[in-house]
Amino acid sequence: MSTFTLSLIVIGYLLLLAYLGFLGYKKTNTSADYLVGGREMNPIVMALSYGATFISASAIVGFGGVSAAFGMGLQWLCLLNMLVGVVIAFILFGARTRQLGAQLNVSTFPQLLGAHYRSRGIRVFIAAVIFIGMPIYAAVVMKGGAVFLQQIFEIDYHIALLIFTLFIAAYVIAGGMKGVMYTDAMQAVIMFACMFFLLFFFYRTIDMGFTEANRALTDIAPLVPEKFREMGHQGWTRMPVTGSPQWFTLVTSLILGVGIGCLAQPQLVVRFMTVKSTKQLNRGVFIGSLFILVTVGVIYHIGPLTNLYFLKSEGAVATAIVKDIDQIIPYFINRAMPEWFSAIFMLCILSAGMSTLSSQFHTMGSAVGSDIYGSYQSPQKPRRNQTSVVRLGILFAILISYVICYMLPNDIIARGTALFMGVCASAFLPAYFCALYWKRATRRGVLLSLWVGTLSSVFVMLFMHEKESAALGLCQALFGRPVLIEAYPFPLIDPIVYSLPLSVAAIVIGSLMGKRKA
Amino acid sequence: MFGIYDIFIILPYLLSLLCIIFAAWFGITHWNKDNTNDQSL
Repeated sequence: MSTFTLSLIVIGYLLLLAYLGFLGYKKTNTSADYLVGGREMNPIVMALSYGATFISASAIVGFGGVSAAFGMGLQWLCLLNMLVGVVIAFILFGARTRQLGAQLNVSTFPQLLGAHYRSRGIRVFIAAVIFIGMPIYAAVVMKGGAVFLQQIFEIDYHIALLIFTLFIAAYVIAGGMKGVMYTDAMQAVIMFACMFFLLFFFYRTIDMGFTEANRALTDIAPLVPEKFREMGHQGWTRMPVTGSPQWFTLVTSLILGVGIGCLAQPQLVVRFMTVKSTKQLNRGVFIGSLFILVTVGVIYHIGPLTNLYFLKSEGAVATAIVKDIDQIIPYFINRAMPEWFSAIFMLCILSAGMSTLSSQFHTMGSAVGSDIYGSYQSPQKPRRNQTSVVRLGILFAILISYVICYMLPNDIIARGTALFMGVCASAFLPAYFCALYWKRATRRGVLLSLWVGTLSSVFVMLFMHEKESAALGLCQALFGRPVLIEAYPFPLIDPIVYSLPLSVAAIVIGSLMGKRKA
Repeated sequence: MFGIYDIFIILPYLLSLLCIIFAAWFGITHWNKDNTNDQSL
C-alpha cells in the first residue's frame, strides 16, 4: 500500500476523531458533563471506553512480543484482565463506586475518596500522586504514537510528536469526558475488529487448525533459545519452571502487578461514575469482557504461534529473527499479513495509544484543575469557571508530559509506567476498597496506607526490583550495586508483592488504633 | 487437550471461556436490576 493511500486512511481516521471530539464539545454544558459525561453515558460507550483505556498499545505490541518469546503462560494475564479488570471491577467495585459518587456528588477518583473520608488531605494526596506519576506514564504512550506517525508520513520525529500531542489535546480539552469517551468507543471498535480479523488471517496464513497449530508449537519446544531455557523456559505451551526467573517475572510482575494493579487506576474508576444507574454497569460487563478477550486474548494466543510462521518462512523462532521483543508483532504483521491489513493494524495500534493517552490527559487535568486547585477554591465560584480551570489543568498536564518526552531518557520513561501502576495499586487500592466495603476505615488509617503504599513502592523500585533500580541508577550511585538484596529471587519480585500487603496492614492498623471514625 | 498438555496453560483458556459465559449470563439476568437503595455505603 502506498504512503499516499496510507496517509489518506490516517487522515480520514483523524477527521472522524475530530468530529467525535466536536460532538463531545457541543454536548458539554456543565462541569459534570466535562468530568463524568453528565453521568448519562450509554453503557456500550462506557464499556468500550473502559476497555480502550485499559488496553494500551504496549499491551498489544509489547506483551504480544513477550508472549512470542515466553509462551502461552501470558493467557493468565488475559484471564485476570477479564476477571479482575472487568467482571470484579464492574460488579464489586463499579456499582458501589457509581452509587457513592452520585451520593457524594463527586466527579473524580481523588474527590470520591476525599469526600468519603471527609479529608482534603486525602484528596490532594491522591491528586498529587496522579499529577506527578502519570505524565511519565503518558510520555511513553506519546513517544509510541509519535514514532508511528513519523514512520507513516515519513516526517521528522519532533513534528510528529507535536502533531500527535496537539491533536489529542484539541479533542480532550474541547470535548472533555464526552469527547474522550466517544473517541474511545470508536477506537475500541477498530481494535476489536482488527484483532478478530488477525485471528482469522493467522490461521489461514499458517494453514493449520487450532489443535494442529498448538500441537506443532508443543513439538518445537526443543528449539527454545538457550538463554531463555536458562531462565526456566520449557516451551511455548508450558508454564516456566516453578521458581525460575521467568516464572517470577510472569507471576509477580505480569499477572499480579498488571492483573491486580488495574483495579485502582483512577482513569478507569472514573468511568463507573459516568453512567446513570447500576443496571447500565451490569449491561457493560459482557461487552467489556468480550472486548478484553478478543483484543488481548487473541494477541497473547497468536504471539507464541508466530514461532511456527517464523520457523516455516525464515528457519528460526521469533526471538532468533527479531532481537527486540517489542518489534516481533509489527515485524510479523508486515511479513505475514496482507498489505492492506498491515495498514489497518497500524490504525489499531494508533487507536490503542490515543485512547489510553486521551484518558490520561483528562485524568491528570482533572487532578490538578479540579482536585488540587478546586479544593482550595471558594465553593461560591460559578461552575463554568471550574470547567475552565480543569481545561487549563489538562493543558498544563499535556505540556509537562510533552517536556518529559524530551527530558528523560527512554529507559527511565519506560520504567515510569511500572512505577505509576505499582504506586496506584499499592497506595490507592486498600483505601478505595475500604471506602466501598469497610466502614471502620478512618482518615488516619487511610492516610497511613496512602503514605506506606506510595513510599514502599518507590523504595522497592529504587532499591530492590532490578528492572527499575538498574534503570534509575540511584542504588548503584549510593551503594555501588544495582539492588540492595542481590540474593535470588529478591531482585525479580515485583514491588506490589511487598507494598500492597504493607499498605493493607497500614490501613487496618491505622484505623483500628485511631479513635476518629471517617 | 487441543494440542496443549500443560494443565496450567489449558486452565486460563478454560477459565476465560467460563468468565465470558458468566459475563453474558450476568448481563442478561441483571439487565434491568438496580441497587439504588443499597444502605451499606
